[in-house]
Amino acid sequence: MLKLTIDNQPVAVPAGTKVIAAAEKLGIMIPRFCYHPALGSVGACRVCAVSVLKGPRTGIQMSCMLDVEDGMVVATGDPAAVAFRRQVIEWLMANHPHDCPVCDEGGHCLLQDLTVSGGHGRRRFPGKKRTHRDQQLGPLIQHEMNRCIQCYRCVRFYREFAGYPDLGVTGIAARVYFGRFREGTLESPFAGNLIDICPTGVFTDKPSRYKGRRWDFQRSPSICIHCSLGCHTTVSARYREIVRIEARFSPTVNGHFICDRGRYGFAYANAPERPRQGRIDGETQPVSTALDAALERLTTVSRTHGPDAVACIGSARSSLETLGALKRLCERRSWRGPFLWPDAQTARAVQTAAACLAPELRLSMKELEDADFILVVGADPVNEAPMLALALRQAQRQGATIAVCDPRPVALPFAFEHLALAPPFLADAIRIFARAAAGPPQAGVRASGGDAHPPDPNMPPAVQARLAAMGATARTCRRPVIVCGTQIVNSRTVARAADTARMLKSADKPAGLFFVLPGANAFAAALLSDENGAFNTLQAGIADGHVKAVLAVESDLPAAGEGLAPALKSLDLLVVCDYLNTAAARAADILVPTRSVFEEGGIFINQTGCAQRAAPVHVGGTPVAQTGGGDHPPRTFERSIPGAEALSAVQALDRLAGTETADPPAALADLHPVLAPFASRKWPDEGQLLDLSSEAAPSADWPPEEPPAAGKTFELVVRERTFGSEALSQRADCLRPLEKAPRILVHSDDAARLGIAAGDRVALTCAGGVIEGTADVRNTVAAGVVIVDRHRELNWPAAGAGWVRIEAKQIHKIEKERER
Amino acid sequence: MLPKTRKKALQKEIAAAEHARELVVDVLMALQAHYGHVTDEAVFEAADLLGMTPMEIEEVATFYTFIYRRPVGKYVIHVCDSVICWMESERPLLEVLCEKLGIAPGETTADGLFTLLPVCCIGYCDRAPAMLINRKAYGPLTENKIDRILTGLRQEG
Amino acid sequence: MYPQVLFQNRQPDRTATIKTYRAGGGYRALADVLQQNAAARVRQVLLDAALLGRGGAAFPAGVKLSTVAEDAPYPRYVVCNADEMEPGTFKDRVLIFADPHQLIEGLILAGFAVHAETGIIFIRPEYEGAAAILEREVRVAEKAGYLGKDILGSGFDYRIVVHRSGGRYICGEVTAQINALQGKRPNPLQPPPYPTEKGLWQKPTVLQNVETLCCMPHIVAKGADWFKNLSLTPSGAGTKIFGISGRVQQPGCYELPMGVPLSEIIEDHAGGMIPGSEFKACLPGGASTGFLPARHYHIPMDFEALKKAGNRLGTGAIMVFDHKTCLVGVTLNLMEFFARESCGWCTPCREGLPFIRELLYEIESGRGKPEYVPMLQEMSRHLWHAYCAFAPGAAAPLASLLDEFEDEIQDHIKRKACPFSALT
Ligand SMILES: Cc1cc2nc3c(=O)[nH]c(=O)nc-3n(C[C@H](O)[C@H](O)[C@H](O)COP(=O)(O)O)c2cc1C
Ligand code: SF4
Ligand code: FES
Repeated sequence: MLKLTIDNQPVAVPAGTKVIAAAEKLGIMIPRFCYHPALGSVGACRVCAVSVLKGPRTGIQMSCMLDVEDGMVVATGDPAAVAFRRQVIEWLMANHPHDCPVCDEGGHCLLQDLTVSGGHGRRRFPGKKRTHRDQQLGPLIQHEMNRCIQCYRCVRFYREFAGYPDLGVTGIAARVYFGRFREGTLESPFAGNLIDICPTGVFTDKPSRYKGRRWDFQRSPSICIHCSLGCHTTVSARYREIVRIEARFSPTVNGHFICDRGRYGFAYANAPERPRQGRIDGETQPVSTALDAALERLTTVSRTHGPDAVACIGSARSSLETLGALKRLCERRSWRGPFLWPDAQTARAVQTAAACLAPELRLSMKELEDADFILVVGADPVNEAPMLALALRQAQRQGATIAVCDPRPVALPFAFEHLALAPPFLADAIRIFARAAAGPPQAGVRASGGDAHPPDPNMPPAVQARLAAMGATARTCRRPVIVCGTQIVNSRTVARAADTARMLKSADKPAGLFFVLPGANAFAAALLSDENGAFNTLQAGIADGHVKAVLAVESDLPAAGEGLAPALKSLDLLVVCDYLNTAAARAADILVPTRSVFEEGGIFINQTGCAQRAAPVHVGGTPVAQTGGGDHPPRTFERSIPGAEALSAVQALDRLAGTETADPPAALADLHPVLAPFASRKWPDEGQLLDLSSEAAPSADWPPEEPPAAGKTFELVVRERTFGSEALSQRADCLRPLEKAPRILVHSDDAARLGIAAGDRVALTCAGGVIEGTADVRNTVAAGVVIVDRHRELNWPAAGAGWVRIEAKQIHKIEKERER
Repeated sequence: MLPKTRKKALQKEIAAAEHARELVVDVLMALQAHYGHVTDEAVFEAADLLGMTPMEIEEVATFYTFIYRRPVGKYVIHVCDSVICWMESERPLLEVLCEKLGIAPGETTADGLFTLLPVCCIGYCDRAPAMLINRKAYGPLTENKIDRILTGLRQEG
Repeated sequence: MYPQVLFQNRQPDRTATIKTYRAGGGYRALADVLQQNAAARVRQVLLDAALLGRGGAAFPAGVKLSTVAEDAPYPRYVVCNADEMEPGTFKDRVLIFADPHQLIEGLILAGFAVHAETGIIFIRPEYEGAAAILEREVRVAEKAGYLGKDILGSGFDYRIVVHRSGGRYICGEVTAQINALQGKRPNPLQPPPYPTEKGLWQKPTVLQNVETLCCMPHIVAKGADWFKNLSLTPSGAGTKIFGISGRVQQPGCYELPMGVPLSEIIEDHAGGMIPGSEFKACLPGGASTGFLPARHYHIPMDFEALKKAGNRLGTGAIMVFDHKTCLVGVTLNLMEFFARESCGWCTPCREGLPFIRELLYEIESGRGKPEYVPMLQEMSRHLWHAYCAFAPGAAAPLASLLDEFEDEIQDHIKRKACPFSALT
């Protein structure tokens, strides 16, 4: 540690720290434009000048470029430094438009802040302002180059940090320009961060243009619920509308950034079609009336046919509180459930992951960035958990070797090795890797499990050799990490990933394990329900008439497949509690609207087992823009807030249970022993890490599954997409243009064998119905695999799970006339 | 499209280089020689040849004085407007040339022959005032001399 | 007549061939040190000779070569800076045209001194003629066995590549040049790491000016003392190519001993001031040095003396201004140059220079306001805190205008016109 003095205050920081960061430790925010902790120092803007009174070089120095030295004395308020900083502001303002009144950055603009605090108010520049032409950069980001102060943050983030090629800097001198080669939508799914990172108004949030100043907004810290990573966000609301989401710094989860799915996925909360009132048999009713009717009818079914005739369904997008209330309701009324999973395979995979995620193995995203070898198995980061791709990239930038074993054509913003393997090979792939990574047996080092079963002979020898080579590399690495998905793999693969991580770890390395789970609260769902809690087990019950009534809470039933739809029709009663206007909500006999995370807040447990709380942002209600029909303020005045009748799901479920939870945190603690910490009201900023791992964690020593019959059987895999597949964000209009056209993908060899060409219409006959779509033929798809995009235009739920086996004869080219 | 033989030659040069990227200016110059200026198509071709992205090519191409991203005439006149040439001319050369060619700085004559670009010191201060036409230096210049040079070039067409 | 070292083979309108160069003793130094495998001796003699970089920064060449660590990684590079874009400077062009093998030998010697594999000549596009000569003569040197594998049986391999720039002043700055050579945008990069440690392709790189390299064969051949004794002043060493332009009768390049008085250069070598002209000031070493007023007319032209006078020898490109030249106009022209050529990386340079240019333009056009003078003074000081040496270079003529010729500025403001416009 080096000791120095800044503004007469002593501070000790490690060698290599820049003065600007050391000052921050003392709470002294030295002005900056180009410096950003995530992007580092480049010394371009020169506004971080300080005076060094004692040190190797004295006088005015840029604090972002200056390494601390022992005994250094720095004065940030020295008149010479202040005068220079003011000069920099004047220079930057010489060409800056005076359009703060119509600039959406106004009110949270670093340039505005420094201009005001520096006291620059009189224009002394006699020349003309330079002007630029703006570019159309797509639906999310507004470009206004005239406001640019050339801090280079945008390209440094976009190209260096995030790894996308389509934004750059052109020109020279006073004409440097930041934009694309040609106009057009920015390619990166992280482009929205440009808005946060630009210190002025060059990149502003397009969907929320002119919706208010930052000080007009109700702002709250929140947690993103569009995937399992649980990135930290700040949500802004105004006039009963969620207006904007920004990244909120988290040292362990997302750092400074979020992805565009998380930034723009919130439109569902404002949607005009969002259920705001209760409905009984097609008639609009007050919420409490609908709830009373639900209670009455559910009770009747339960009395008449036994409590077993009522089933309760939930999903991983609900808060822990809601899931807990649902579980309590089931227990109290002896109703079936909760059913929280679309299928048993996913349930088992997530359960296994949760049980394997021992505290000593799990890594945060920040720690993942420190890995020097990463094996990704059965995960497609950009599509399933976008911010994971950025974390992987940071590791790669620091020299990590990254390999991905996955049947999908995985694309990542950096160089990596992709082994396109069908799901049945993934567990074996890990094993071959693990064996090489373990090296010769050593005393005290646990061998990787599963040795009893020889690897699948169908796995190509070249692939086996690559895996062994990777294992050998991992052996020499300081921090090898296994990243494993749970959407398209079985629990055997998951367990083996964990076993391998444990093996690497015991070799005295900070190795680790990182899972990707399906859904923001999949971990909580694993906590509160087991593999029997999958809808497709429920389906049988409905079909054979045992289940007469279903209560669905914040659940997209279509995920259970078309098969469930006729089953639902045969029910006596369908009650839906939701804040989305889902197909189930539309089909419901009774609909009870609930509050979204923005109105209610809630606890979500991310894939590392970290329980994080989202704070409520606003009371909610129908947005003024909708009640006023564009007119504002509304002309009729009443005491109640229009459209704010919805109850929280917890309240609704408690009413159905006939209880009232006096102390919700304590009630959580009763649900499961690991939730005990919730009884105390102290909430750690960084969330509460939960430990579900058990001695009885499933072993990877499971028998291998039936090997695929080459050419005769195919593995059908459902692929999530960054945009368009996740339940909530797919409802955001502004993201629609970013969705990729949904496709059915096959490897070119398989396509040739099946007689399918790219662009053909193809039908897959599955247990749950027919999936019809346009074929895409790629070499980057694993052989023997058919991939279906999880998109509203495809009947993907018919697949029945993220990965199922089908026979070649279930795949047809549609000979009938091409559609559209 | 670059003629095949020219492209092959470039590919050979690139293959022989230690790092392909070091040839970016040479490749752009070659494309410029072929197209007259670096067209958008040329940017894509350069990117392709060098294994860079079009954006990276554009970043470099727009930095340099001698890479033209917009059409230019057959003769590109780089007229020095730096200090010695400025001091040594009766009347700024740029002004003289604008008048004689009937165009403003940065423009090309209607017949497509001349493009006029003011540039920084071209390193012929001992022959001030000076200019370059297609990179050949002329100086010291007088109005008469300029007339003669332009007439000569017009005759060559 | 002073001894001609770098110009010994210079002839009007003719480029010295390898034959001429060898006849004058060329390539003998190289053959010697290669045979004796005396890389360390090359470094030492350059160190002893106190050869200061001729590209403007006056950094000791021997020191630079010696900072490449013995155990530094390979490949290593030597770059010859033939960018020469500073207004008023044209000596490197003349040197290449006069005697290309002198430069080639210097570049090989520098390469040998640091065990480099490649020498690169980075040349501005305006010098296409010179680039073509160099390419041709490099092949000649290859044929003669001075380049290629196992040079003169010494086991030393070395090649020379001519790299044409796209043309920008900033490319002359070391780190910007390294970026340019890598096909990147030529923005400078603030050390550390220093190029001699991590330069081109992250490998040790020594970058020297054309003239500096041209001195090397002679120093290696004739020794450090000989070189030092060439100078008229004890503080200097060697000869210097002075490129003189402006209001003199015979502008051009003259090889003169270091320390030769300015007045002598103007009067005896450049033919004196043009008739009817009186010396008012000169920029002694290119556009990024300060105006040297008439009271320094007899100053010995070496690095030390000019430093003492608060100025710099820079590149030794002397631009002479007479009593009829408006120095506000000159400075405005220079600021126009610097503003145009700024790489656009940092604020003082990218925004400050156009601001300054605008203020000077107003003054020159008769619209100047008294408050512009203190603004200019402050801004010229603030230019020093730019990212690289470009903007401080631009500050030099501006600051000296303000210090030495404030009257001239005030006169513009008072008369609401340029007082010189009536004179011409
Ligand atoms: C903006 C700028 C432009 C420069 N241009 C040149 C140049 O054209 N030629 C040159 O030799 N040095 C130039 N230099 C100086 C170089 O940075 C460097 O000091 C020099 O080339 C080193 O060689 P030397 O030690 O042999 O002089 C320039 C420096 C700056 C800051
Ligand atoms: S001073 Fe700044 S803008 Fe100017 S050339 Fe140097 S880095 Fe570029
Ligand atoms: S923050 Fe230090 S120069 Fe920009």
